[in-house]
This record gives sequence, structure tokens and C-alpha cells, in this order.
Amino acid sequence: MALLQISEPGKSTMPHEHRLAVGIDLGTTNSLIASVVSGAVSILEQGNKERLLPSVVHYSSSNPIVGSEAKNLQIKDPKNTISSVKRLIGKNLSDIDTKFYSLDLKDDDGVIGIQTDKGIKNPIEVSSDILKKLKETAEESLGNELYGAVITVPAYFDDAQRQATKDSAKLAGINVLRLINEPTAAAVAYGLDQNKEGNFVIFDLGGGTFDVSILNLSKGIFEVQATHGDANLGGDDYDQVIFEWLCKSNKINVTNSKIKQKLFALSREIKEALTNKDSIKINETIDKKINIQCELSQQEFEEITKKLTKKTISSTLQALRDAELSVSQIQGVVMVGGSTRMPCIQNAVKEFFKQPLLNNLNPDEVVALGAAQQANILAGNTNDNLLLLDVIPLSLGVETMGDIVERIIPRNSTLPVSMGQEFTTYKDGQTAMIIHVVQGERDLVRDCRSLAKFTLKGIPPLVAGAAKILVTFQVDADGLLSVSAKEQSTGIQSKIEVKPSYGLSDDKVKKMLEDSFNLASEDKESRALSEIKIEGSQLLEMIKNAIYEDSDLLKEKELNLLQETLNELKKSLESSDRNNIEELTKKLNDDSQSFAAKRMDRSIQKALTGKSLNSLEF
Amino acid sequence: MQFNIDLDRLQKSYRIIQAEIHPDKFVSASQIEKNQSLIKSTEVNDAYQTLKNPIKRARYLIKINLKSEENNSTLPPSFLMQQMEWEEHLESISEQKSELEKFRLLINGEYQKNLSNLESVCDTDKNWDGAMEILNEIQFIDKLNYKIIQQINLIETK
Repeated sequence: MALLQISEPGKSTMPHEHRLAVGIDLGTTNSLIASVVSGAVSILEQGNKERLLPSVVHYSSSNPIVGSEAKNLQIKDPKNTISSVKRLIGKNLSDIDTKFYSLDLKDDDGVIGIQTDKGIKNPIEVSSDILKKLKETAEESLGNELYGAVITVPAYFDDAQRQATKDSAKLAGINVLRLINEPTAAAVAYGLDQNKEGNFVIFDLGGGTFDVSILNLSKGIFEVQATHGDANLGGDDYDQVIFEWLCKSNKINVTNSKIKQKLFALSREIKEALTNKDSIKINETIDKKINIQCELSQQEFEEITKKLTKKTISSTLQALRDAELSVSQIQGVVMVGGSTRMPCIQNAVKEFFKQPLLNNLNPDEVVALGAAQQANILAGNTNDNLLLLDVIPLSLGVETMGDIVERIIPRNSTLPVSMGQEFTTYKDGQTAMIIHVVQGERDLVRDCRSLAKFTLKGIPPLVAGAAKILVTFQVDADGLLSVSAKEQSTGIQSKIEVKPSYGLSDDKVKKMLEDSFNLASEDKESRALSEIKIEGSQLLEMIKNAIYEDSDLLKEKELNLLQETLNELKKSLESSDRNNIEELTKKLNDDSQSFAAKRMDRSIQKALTGKSLNSLEF
Repeated sequence: MQFNIDLDRLQKSYRIIQAEIHPDKFVSASQIEKNQSLIKSTEVNDAYQTLKNPIKRARYLIKINLKSEENNSTLPPSFLMQQMEWEEHLESISEQKSELEKFRLLINGEYQKNLSNLESVCDTDKNWDGAMEILNEIQFIDKLNYKIIQQINLIETK
């Protein structure tokens, strides 16, 4: 039986329709998509009934092949088959060790380019092909158009990696409701599932990344206290160690990329087999010349990978220190990511926290499940009271004289966060300056990651040191940075040109988007018109409601002005005059800023008085 | 406003407000509401951090009471001597983790001592110049603590 939907009085005039919202875990090795369907969260199966989609894309035919089929082509055609692209996203060639890749990697205007038979592909395109496939899965299995997605990223991803991930979603035509951190998503899945309270550690070791987050859970609020990790540490590194061990103990020197692939695959099999075996005998013929015969015990495996495991524990220790908590104050430890199945990891974490681990949810699926629950909430499909307060994982700073970093936003600041910093000119009459933004904890610029160079233009020419430029760094709820600047004495807004050190410029992303739609110019025009019409009518609807509820916040003159613009826009929306609609929408937007701010203040007041009656209890 | 505040109540109020205005509550809203939510939510985070952290709270209290941001007070010579001693000590033990941990405990004790001084100077004496002096000391101690932690982290990651 269909339920009747009745809107809350004064809230919205339209009953809320269920929006198809999904959670996507875009993983290094595998990707998953999940959704809340009639109140229950579940993984959406791929066409072949598999729950995991291997994050592998093969380029040789006209359409890219994604998933298991591509994975099967990896050994046969390693050059055109791209896996673990997450390790390359938001980076440039000098960041990575190309010898670990059997791909033809090159520099493509600041980003990594992968040469395939179908041309040069960058990591954003490859990720976007994976996301497109997942989107198809969702729309096919749920029989509806996708409204939006929550996409997870490693907590330790920096700004460039986050931006690149969001760009690849845009390119796949996905409306990103929010980027959330993988450990936080896992916490949602556990917290909602079991109504937990207190301090929790989320230990997340995936295929290519490691994160550890410490969260305080209380009545639907998930407040991240601290996060730490390593964006280049995962199960793949354990494979790598086995691979090196195999080569060494069998005295093989690998140069051929096909053989390398075969040995990597074998290494992974060995690692997985050791999950529930004490020892494993290997007898494998790789090619005519190479035959591998040896034995690896659990104990020896633990020994040769000790260094990697130790790294995860020291990150955990640092996160605890940042959160100002000790082991005894931790109520639970959640294990996330396929690589936490390794007994050596389980033992090390158990020993460190001196308590049993929470691993009753499938570690491969828990991130996607949590993301789906958050997507369902953000899309407004449920009244579940849940709020994620996440943090920025790495400090943001700017370069000052002498290669020194001046820290602007410290790591573990709760998002959204913004900080202002004043700069002044160095020479008389200087009208432009460059601000170099870096991310990291070290004191020297060269030890941090360069994010972007911002060129401020239009500074009024004054004597050296007289101009005071306030540069504001805003990091939003997705963890993405934006920068604005204003000269203080004249109030002149400086123009900012951004040159990202990694990743793509906005223009390039825009061009890629346009290319992907490949629309005729009249289609573009009608698309633009319908977009601005939707935006205009949404704003109209919102202001009408706002006036109905809170008109007492406006002076008569302000009210009249708003009403006037409102009517003009209403009339204009019936026409096809794109410029006019755009102009009036902008005017209404500008005119109602202070009204919107006052309304927000009122809702804060209401919430506080409402709750203080119950002595601030939730 | 006092220096000594009810931190539990602060956290609860903070969470009530964020539950109302956080950008997550405006994902499907109009652009103007999204902007406002981002601005307010950022302000509330800033206010919360200012009040939660004793050093930031003291700096804020002094600022509104002295009605000036100028910091004219200088550190007493005895503290300057102490500073140098501590810096030298840190240098000499920079590679020894257990010594660093011990030093961190000592510095933490100094921090706590200064914090309770700050409380009486602010809430009882309302001596804002005196508060400024203690603030300068405690800021140095806090930075030193940060340096020690960084050093321990560095040893651990090696």
C-alpha cells in the first residue's frame, strides 16, 4: 500500500517525492554502490550479480569496458587496462613511482596521462567511467533517474584529490550531494545500526589507502575528533612485498610487464589465502622459463610486512594524541576495508587497543552502506536525525619569504571552516601578487604539497606595505578550498586566477564536460534555458515561503522591494528570455541575502530556546 | 562572560545549532540558503573553537575587555630564561622518545598551572593586563607542547 505523504505545515507546499539517492564507495581495487530501498540499506548488484565492481577500465573498443570483464583483460592487455587509478587521481607524474605501473604514463599538462589505444586518458576520465557504470547499475536496478550521490573519499585525501574526485563525478553526470570521508561513512553504518555512544576508532585499510579516524558519537551527532592516515598505503603494498619476496627467493628479475602482472596477481592470491591458513605452498608456472616453487608461512608474512603494519599503528597513535584521548577512553574499534581481514593487522590492532574489534559488518561493504544512509538523509527522504561534523585532515598554509609555510587552517578543524589572513605589498605601486597555497604539516614549502597558486590582480597601486589585502580561505563541507580576496582600505575585490598545481583547471573541466555531452548549439541553448528556469522558480518558491513565514523580519520597504522583484521574475519565467530570467534571478538573490541571514538567525534562536526548556537534552 | 565556562553545555548548544544550520541540512535548498548556511555554520564553528579552547577563549576575553588587540606586555626575564632552558632541553633530547614523553608531561603540568592562574586573574581579579601576561606564557608553552608532539610523531614515522 502506498503511504500518503503529508507535508509539515508551512514547510513546503509540495509533498516530498522519494528521490533516488545512492552512496558510492569509489575504491582503489573495487567500487560499490548502495541505496536505501523502502527503509532498508543494501548494496546494489551489478548486471552479473556481483556486489563488487572491480575498479578496472579497459580501453580498446569504442566504449570503455568497466569491471570484471576489464579485469580479465589485465594480463592479456596490460597497456590498455587501467587499475588502481585512485592512486593517480589528483597527482602529477613526479608524485608517483612509475616502475610500479605496467601502464604508459606521461605528463599531460600537469596531470597524469595514460596512453592507451584509444588516446590519452587522465585519471579523472577513468574514474568517471567507473562512476558512469555504477550510475547505470543504480538506474537499471531501481528503475528511476538518479537524483544524487554521496561519494566517499579517504579521510586523508588532500584538496587536489578531493577536487579531482568531484570533477570525475560531474563528468559522469552525477549530482554530488556530498563528498564524505570513508571512515565517517563506516561509522554511520555502525552507529545507525547499533545506536552506539562514545568515542570510536575507525581503522580503515583499503586496497591503496589507509585512514584512521576518531569520532565521538552522541544521539545522532558524529563529531570527528581527529583523523590521520596515509594516502599511499594499502593492501596493494602488502602484495608488493610478497611480489618482491617471490622475485628474491626465486631469483627472478622481471622486466616484462605481462609477467609482472602475473606475479602481482599471484602475490595477491597468496595474501588472500593466508587470511585463513597458517602457511601456503606455491607451485606455479609463470612462463616457459619461470617456475615458482616456495612456501610462505603466516609468521614469515607478518615479519616481511612488519614495517607496513607498524606505519598503521603509529598513525593511529598520532590520531589519538590529536584527539587528546587515551586507549582506555575508546569504546569501540571498527575495522573497515578488505585489507583488515589480514590476521597480522587484526592482531596488531587488537593488541594496541586491548579490546575485541567490531567487524560484524562486511568490511568491503560498510563504507558504501554508510554513504547510502547519509545520501538518503541528504536527499530528504527520511527524518532521521543525523549530523556528520567532519574535519580537514591536513593543515592549509601559504608560502612566505624563505620557503617557510605560514599555517592558516590547522588540521582537524571542524568543517566548514574559514580563516582570513592579511597580506601586504612588497614594492611601491604593486598591483598583483601571487599566493601559493600548500597543504601539509611540515614547516618548509618543499616538504608540503603544493595545491595552487592564486594570482591576485587589481590591487590599487599604493606605496609598499600600504595596501592591506585580506585573503579568505574557505573550506566547505566537502572539504574543498576556495579563496577570495579584498583590499581592506578601498574595499576593492581582487580578481583571482587559480592555477592548480595538480589536477585540472575549471576551464578544462568545463571543456571536458561539454565534449562529453557533444550537444548541438541549439540543444545547449535550450538546456541552458531550462536550467536557469529551474533555478529561478526554485528561488521564487523559496522566497515566497520565506515571506509567508517570516515577513515580520522585513521592513515595509524591503518587503515591497522583494515583492516587486518576485513578481517581475514570475512574469519573466513564463517567457523564453534567458538573459532577463538570469538577471532577475540574480537580483532576487542579491536582494534577499540579508533576509536569508536573519531567517537563519531566527531558526538558531528557536532551536536554542526550544531545547533549553529540556535543559539542552536532545 | 567568564573564563570558566560549562564546557558540557557549550558542546550541547553547539550541536543544537549545527543540527539546525549545517550545510547538510540545505543540500537540496536554493543557492541563497546554501550560501547562508555555509557562512553561519562556519561562524558557529569558529565561535565554538574560540570558546572551547582555553587559550583562544582567554585571548577573546582579553580582547573584548581591553578593547584593544595590541599586545604591549613583555615576558618577565625569569620566564625568558625558562624558555631558553626548555628549548635547549628539547634540542638535546630530540631523538629520544621516552625523554620527549617525560618532557611533555612536565610541560603539560606547567600548562595546567598557568590555566588555573588565568582563571583567577580573569574571573576573580578582572586584571586584564595580568591576564595578557599569563596568556603570553601559556601560548609559548602550548607551542612548545606542539613541537614536542611533532618530534614524537616524527620519530614514530621513521
